[in-house]
Amino acid sequence: MSYSPEVNEPVLEKKKNEKVRKFNKAKLVPYLFITPAVLMVVSFLFYPIGMVFYYSFQNYDISAPYYNSFAGLDNFVNIFTSDKLFFPSLLNSLKWVVTEVGLQLVFGLILALLLNQTFKFRGMIRAVAFIPWAISGVLASVIWSLMYNEHMGVLNDILMRLGIVDSPQAFLASTSTAFGAVVIAELWRGIPFFAITLLAGLQSIPQELYEAARVDGASRWKSFLFVTLPQLKNTIILTTLLRVVWEFNNVDLIFNLTGGGPAHSTTTLTMYIAELAVHGSNFGYGSALTVISFGILLVFAALYLKLSRYEKE
Amino acid sequence: MFSKNKKIDKLLTLYVPLGMLLSFTLFPLYWTINTAFKPEGDIMNRPLEYAPLNPTVENFVMAWNNVGFATFMKNSLIVGVSTVIVVLICSTLSGYALARYQFKGKRAFMLMLLCTQFIPRSMMIIPLFIIFKNLGLISSPLALIITYTAIEIPFTTILMSGFIANVPKELEEAAMIDGCTKLQSIRHVVFPLLLPGIVATGVFTFIYTWNEFLIALMLTNRQDRFTLPVGLSTMMGEFNVNYGALAAGSVIALIPAVILFAYAQKHLVNGMGGAVKG
Amino acid sequence: MFKSKFRKSIAVSTIATALLLAACGDDESAGKKEVSAENGKPVKITFWDENAGPQRTPIWEELISQFEEENPMIDVEYVGLPKDSAKSKMDAAIAADDTPDLASVQTSWLPEFSIREALLPLDDYFADSELNGLINEGALNFNKDIVADKKLYGIPYTQNLDILWIRKDWFEEKGVKIPETWDEFYAAAEAMTDKANNRYGYTIRGGAGGSFQLQRMMYAYNGFEDYLTEDGKATINDQKNVEFIEKYLSLYEDYTPKSDITNGYKEMIAGFDTGVVAMVQHNIGSFGEHKEALEESQFQAIPLPKSENGNYVAEGGNTIGISIFKGTDNPDEAWKFAEFLNSAASQSFWNEQVGQIPTNSDVLKEDWIQNSPHIQTAFEVYDDPNTVLYKPPFYLPEYRSILDGTVDSGIQSVMSGKASAQEFLDEWAGAMEAAQAKYSEHFGK
Repeated sequence: MSYSPEVNEPVLEKKKNEKVRKFNKAKLVPYLFITPAVLMVVSFLFYPIGMVFYYSFQNYDISAPYYNSFAGLDNFVNIFTSDKLFFPSLLNSLKWVVTEVGLQLVFGLILALLLNQTFKFRGMIRAVAFIPWAISGVLASVIWSLMYNEHMGVLNDILMRLGIVDSPQAFLASTSTAFGAVVIAELWRGIPFFAITLLAGLQSIPQELYEAARVDGASRWKSFLFVTLPQLKNTIILTTLLRVVWEFNNVDLIFNLTGGGPAHSTTTLTMYIAELAVHGSNFGYGSALTVISFGILLVFAALYLKLSRYEKE
Repeated sequence: MFSKNKKIDKLLTLYVPLGMLLSFTLFPLYWTINTAFKPEGDIMNRPLEYAPLNPTVENFVMAWNNVGFATFMKNSLIVGVSTVIVVLICSTLSGYALARYQFKGKRAFMLMLLCTQFIPRSMMIIPLFIIFKNLGLISSPLALIITYTAIEIPFTTILMSGFIANVPKELEEAAMIDGCTKLQSIRHVVFPLLLPGIVATGVFTFIYTWNEFLIALMLTNRQDRFTLPVGLSTMMGEFNVNYGALAAGSVIALIPAVILFAYAQKHLVNGMGGAVKG
Repeated sequence: MFKSKFRKSIAVSTIATALLLAACGDDESAGKKEVSAENGKPVKITFWDENAGPQRTPIWEELISQFEEENPMIDVEYVGLPKDSAKSKMDAAIAADDTPDLASVQTSWLPEFSIREALLPLDDYFADSELNGLINEGALNFNKDIVADKKLYGIPYTQNLDILWIRKDWFEEKGVKIPETWDEFYAAAEAMTDKANNRYGYTIRGGAGGSFQLQRMMYAYNGFEDYLTEDGKATINDQKNVEFIEKYLSLYEDYTPKSDITNGYKEMIAGFDTGVVAMVQHNIGSFGEHKEALEESQFQAIPLPKSENGNYVAEGGNTIGISIFKGTDNPDEAWKFAEFLNSAASQSFWNEQVGQIPTNSDVLKEDWIQNSPHIQTAFEVYDDPNTVLYKPPFYLPEYRSILDGTVDSGIQSVMSGKASAQEFLDEWAGAMEAAQAKYSEHFGK
């Protein structure tokens, strides 16, 4: 495009400036959008999280401040060399997360699919099906501990009446059943999370896709596999990631049902940290464990995001 | 799919599995309510009573009066509603950025959000206390609102970004081609489709604040500012586990949540139908 | 673009406004301890309760309203903390330098709080007070003895004692003697067990908190007065104790329910209250619970069996007291309230409702004390001149964490057969000795 400089330059300049301004403005938008979130998180969470890292290098006893001193890497070394509970608790954490998230996802998806259909009283049933989510951890553990109780627990009562067992079982007291018992209690609480999010996700699947599949002669199962699941993929990936992190750090039920016992069979890494925080006096050691737990989750999250090709979608 | 007969088909693929899941979900609830209506002495009775032989409302009265339930509920509501509003605004904005834009530092931003979830709350209590003490906000509902918002934002942002990503970009663009500004396209096209996601996120946030115990306890030094979970846990003294009052208290605490769910689930309806026709 | 910016600015300005309002508003730090009686406005003091609940909170509130009537220039604000997190909350308050005026504080917490310089010494106040001479000497001296500088940091208002609750109706039914010695105790546990009818002789607290109870049983058996000897050695792993642990914990599953191994307080008491267990060890404070579930004719409190030397043994420091925090701006008013709470009238009211023992000697003459069998049982032990009171090392910062951590899980290991009694006791003793050594080294004692 050719033009005479004197006449068109100011116009071109203006156009160029406009373009540049628009260009800059457009680029700024996402940053503007994330500012409130970043502000909140940085102002209020960075200091506490930073302190955890700081304390991991200290001997810090909150109830005996006169013992405090710099520990360097001592805490970390001790964790890997002389802590008998570290690796078993890590293994328990793995077992816990895989079982819980797996089961919750499966049952949550089933529930979401069921609640997506039309039937009488659907509204009421939906409201009611989500209730376990609304119960706080402390209350849930009291109820389940009451139900599992050897003497006055309703579970034992029912099992005995049905003739499945002939004497009351101590579910939470036996190393073979305690873990499973806690898993079931947490499962009860966790299913609604997936049910709600997946149900919301199901809502945004265009009906046309299903219609098209039906026209092509796909069976229900096939349309589930090739329409529903792919559409839900992002939601599933994200919710699973969040849930894994959440369950890894979740101790409410374990703390109140078994306290990590019997004989540490239900002690996960986070439960171990909680025990130290509440009962122990070395906050520094607990912080070091937390830092390690942080590292594990960070690596997991980074890998997960990469492998699930989340952004490539 | 299982059978040619539509009725049996529906039975097998809907009613039976639904019934089974519902029984699992509702049984502990039924047991709680059962316990709440039993007089304290009867709870330990054997044989177990599947329905109270001497139903009473004394537990509810005790929970409501002796522990100052009304105040606790009010505090929880204030904190809960405020938190939900702030969280929804912040996370919708951030979620939109994550879902629609590729920008430098996006991955770092997401990881940063996730990182805040990696640390158990119990390890952050004292520094949080010091922050709010310096701001002069101890015992103020604002301390809880701010903390809960900061804690929930990472989770809700990621969740919202997922929901927003599910709304096809083409719809916005189509609307703009039809003459809407970006603003209008967001309002008329994206927002209605986002409603289920917003509802789900709002519900999660509210329930979290409704049940959060540790931070509420630590950042509040005034009895009349305690939230519900703190109040409820006073029913569990060492020498004094009042199962009846605890069950009754739990039932009362559940009511707002159930109302919320009943309202929210109405919006978890397929909203795509209308929009795509255009 | 506008709408989102608009939304964003709304958000930002909302938060900013709210923050501003809050900073100027009626929050704790702003208005707490400003006004004094001179201005004609009442002084406000805050009182923290470490064991709030639907039964106890009204008791405190009643006492507070009585106090406020007699003292119109003082307003008391009550904050009830849940038992399980009360200590953590006080720890955090001390760490952040934001403590209440006074609180109900367990005696075992005094050494730690005082060495962190959180509490006000009360010796002078007490000496000038009408309470001087009325409060149980032994308890007061114990409080002074366990802290580093031997000052008085807590005025005890209630005492407790570990005892055995038993189903006396079952003992009568089967014609078994109510145990007074350890041999009789073991015999009773066996005789009372009838698994076919789902009855057990005893129940052990194998879960959280079991360490404290086990400790009391163990010392009741061995009769030692010292927990740690002069040269820092622990009496924990003495041979006598090994014998005891082997025999005591072997009751598990033979004469106790299988679920004992994870029993916390709730489950243990449930065993007794649901009519499954004949004997349970706890303290007289759980009287209220048993009264709800059972008829008074069905159960009674008996002292722990006497030691081999024929003495009753009890753990010293089983009291709760009122302490004033150093950071208070109104020590005089706080003392007035502390004094009121320890008066005969207040102590009588509180202890009668809760079912524990008052420390104010004026109360001991009252009728309800005379008519209360479990309190009489407690006096039997405390008043006996031969009773041995042993003193656990509360002053060691690791004391609680050793019991909660090492010992609690050690008990489960022995009960499940994973560790021997000797190993368990050695570990426990070793931990205490190490803590003691560290303490002596640091303080040059």
